Amino acid sequence: MASIIALVILGLLWGGVYLLMAEGLNLIYGVMKVVNLAHGDLIVFGGLLGYSLFAHAGFTPIAALLPVALVLGALGAVVQWGILERIPLVGADGELRTLLATFGLSYVVSNTSFLLWGGQFQSIPFLQGALRLGPIAIPEGLLACSLAAFIAALLVDFWLHRTLAGKALRATAQSPLGAASCGLEIRRIRIIAFALGTAMAGGAGALVIALVPFQISSGGDLTVQSFTLIALGGLGNYLGAWIAAEILGLAEVLSQYYLGPDIASAIIYLLFIAVLLFRPQGLLGRLGRV
Amino acid sequence: MTRLIIEIVVLAGLALAGVMIALGANAYVVQLLFSTALAVTLAVGWNLIGGMAGYVSFGQVAFFGLGAYAGALAMLTWALPWPLAIVLAASLAALLAWPLGRIMLRLSGIFFALGMFGLARVAQIIVNALAITGGPMGTSIPTAEGPAATAMAMVALATGAVALTMAISRARFGLRLAALRDDAIAAAAAGVDTSRVKVMAFCASAGLAAAAGALYARNVGYIDPASGFAGTIELQTVLMVLAGGIGTVWGPVLGGVLISLLSTVLWARFPTEQQIILGALTLVLAIAMPGGLASIPPLSLWLRRPPLGVFKPTAFTPTAMEKAPAAVAVNGESAVLACRGLGKRFGGVVAVAGVDLAVAPGEILAVIGPNGAGKSTLFDMLSAFSAPSSGEIRFRGAPRGTMPPHLLARAGLARTFQTSRLFPRLTVFETVLLAATSHHPRWRDAEQATSALLVATDLVGDAERFPDALPPGRQRLLEIARALALAPAVLLLDEAMAGMTVAEIARVQAVLRAAAGRGTAIIAIEHVLPAIAPLAMRALVLDNGQTIAEGAPDAVLADPVVIEAYLGVDAMALAS
Repeated sequence: MASIIALVILGLLWGGVYLLMAEGLNLIYGVMKVVNLAHGDLIVFGGLLGYSLFAHAGFTPIAALLPVALVLGALGAVVQWGILERIPLVGADGELRTLLATFGLSYVVSNTSFLLWGGQFQSIPFLQGALRLGPIAIPEGLLACSLAAFIAALLVDFWLHRTLAGKALRATAQSPLGAASCGLEIRRIRIIAFALGTAMAGGAGALVIALVPFQISSGGDLTVQSFTLIALGGLGNYLGAWIAAEILGLAEVLSQYYLGPDIASAIIYLLFIAVLLFRPQGLLGRLGRV
Repeated sequence: MTRLIIEIVVLAGLALAGVMIALGANAYVVQLLFSTALAVTLAVGWNLIGGMAGYVSFGQVAFFGLGAYAGALAMLTWALPWPLAIVLAASLAALLAWPLGRIMLRLSGIFFALGMFGLARVAQIIVNALAITGGPMGTSIPTAEGPAATAMAMVALATGAVALTMAISRARFGLRLAALRDDAIAAAAAGVDTSRVKVMAFCASAGLAAAAGALYARNVGYIDPASGFAGTIELQTVLMVLAGGIGTVWGPVLGGVLISLLSTVLWARFPTEQQIILGALTLVLAIAMPGGLASIPPLSLWLRRPPLGVFKPTAFTPTAMEKAPAAVAVNGESAVLACRGLGKRFGGVVAVAGVDLAVAPGEILAVIGPNGAGKSTLFDMLSAFSAPSSGEIRFRGAPRGTMPPHLLARAGLARTFQTSRLFPRLTVFETVLLAATSHHPRWRDAEQATSALLVATDLVGDAERFPDALPPGRQRLLEIARALALAPAVLLLDEAMAGMTVAEIARVQAVLRAAAGRGTAIIAIEHVLPAIAPLAMRALVLDNGQTIAEGAPDAVLADPVVIEAYLGVDAMALAS
């Protein structure tokens, strides 16, 4: 019994990290209706950047969160300005072209990571102890990272809903034409949204690398994981994404424990395809959109 | 015809050159030939589903890996001769792709692309975990008797793949694929079984990728999960198609040759930066040249899809047009299409609330009503594009039940759409021909029916043009011609005359009168009555999803209830 409770707690904590990972993708999708296929590779890039900060300057993952997010945010702004802004988003061709462009970008990012950090698995030893609550042990590292992820996700959410800039961004997500006719500069808002999205990817990467070792080829998995999450939660839906993140966290932890890592990694994909086929509108449907 | 001969000569020349290189050149060049032919096969295979059907996949490498393993295991465990093992691998993949495609192709766009990516990963995980495949370490296969044999087999496969797409682009199937890619709903309305067409393209694509994989494994003599399901293969395949020209017949060939030679150079000079270069190239192409090399003149002129169908000028007397099947007795019922208590609700909103309606063969019924009255929803239910919440529909004397729209279209229920749904990449002639082939099993008959319809709708001069080049009124005319090409028993027109000039309206009225004279029942939705009044024998007025008046057009128009529905109570008071 105690082990199941421990697993559930682990799963829920993992949900926080998944949420941060997926919320960046969600934000970008919400505003631009573009799925950034390089998302997972940017998470990996952020994680390895955090690793370097740790190895050379002794940054803990929590301390690395902000600088990594800033670097990735700047990178995201450049990508949006230099690439995606150049593709008109009208019609089926627009979607196809952004898909192909970010598909190409994902290989550029992962190969760059490979050149910078090599192909080995990297990890950061961080808070190796465990918090004991009676018979249940919770790894301190996971607890800290999960809290940091929740706080980061909440801050972004607060920014989106309570500040004028955030409201402008949400308005653009709901109707670019309407927002533009209210005098908002859509181009700038898109760049901000993309930068914020990649900053969140980077921040998530900096935290995740302290929890599981990863290497450059993990990018595709992380993209699909993040996409599963927002598809499960409903594209562009925050409450749904949070619930989905918890479900995914639980599914991942429980299947790892009971079925082994091989099957666990396959389950994510099967879950993904099942979600797409049977619940394409997401868990909550249209409730609680951006 | 000359175009076909040129293409055959070019293809034969390429194949012959391949064979001569395989027989005469040194081992390095023969390997280069092998990888180039492999690239062309993969690109052509990917283009079938990603380009011609319009379903971009990031997981076709799954079939490459599957084929490599299936071929290897067939050679190892059953000691099959290698050509047989390759055929087996390709058949297995194509067979497996059928149920898989039926499931996966319900997705589209990014969902299908990523879903396929996920499937490829699952396949890799499975192969990695199995003992029979050698797990992560992979499997060795007895190597080929020198590279010449496999290189020639690869050239033959590539040639076959190109010949296949050449044939498809000239056949009914290619026309249907192009329509599916442009607008799946309009294709279904023209009688195309869209899910069957795309699954067939998916199977062919899978079979080609698997055959290529099996030959690859045979050539290398070794296969492991990392090389069988390599992301680089997927990236390179997508890039080749993009560079050459997505959706064209020769673009993938061009892109395949160029990019595979480029990768060979990259592999030698920048072994670790390969993906950056290929990825960046994909990026730049997606931004700057999405049509690939095939979109650059004069290539664009040479490589564009050959227009299908030949105008048959001898056949345009009205008698050559099909007699509508509705003219014959329909199980003793006078109505060819009828519905009773038909209702539709979306959540809490009732769009249509219990509508009764019936049309007899040759009758023209006008359905009018203000905005939001439920007219288009009614049409969607009648044409099986949406399922009713309540009520019953009878078609040709029997309950219609649930029936996919394309079958209903083939059974003789044709429709147009409120906002024109035409195929941007099909010519006017091809648009009508597409629907005509759904009705006429023989190609020649379909061409004749199409020619007759173009004469009747005065679109002959536009036959070779694309719909975008037509003014709105003529686009509507084309949609009506497409619907009539199904030789329908019932024709549903959704505001067909909106945006037409007076001359065009007169033309449509003549065409509709002729169709009704042949026994086609016509139900026409119009926002306002005048356009349809001269034709209509009966009018039905909908408001808030209910029938508020029915009868002769003049009587209906004078009905105070109808005036109130259009103008509101205040206007009534004002008038009196």
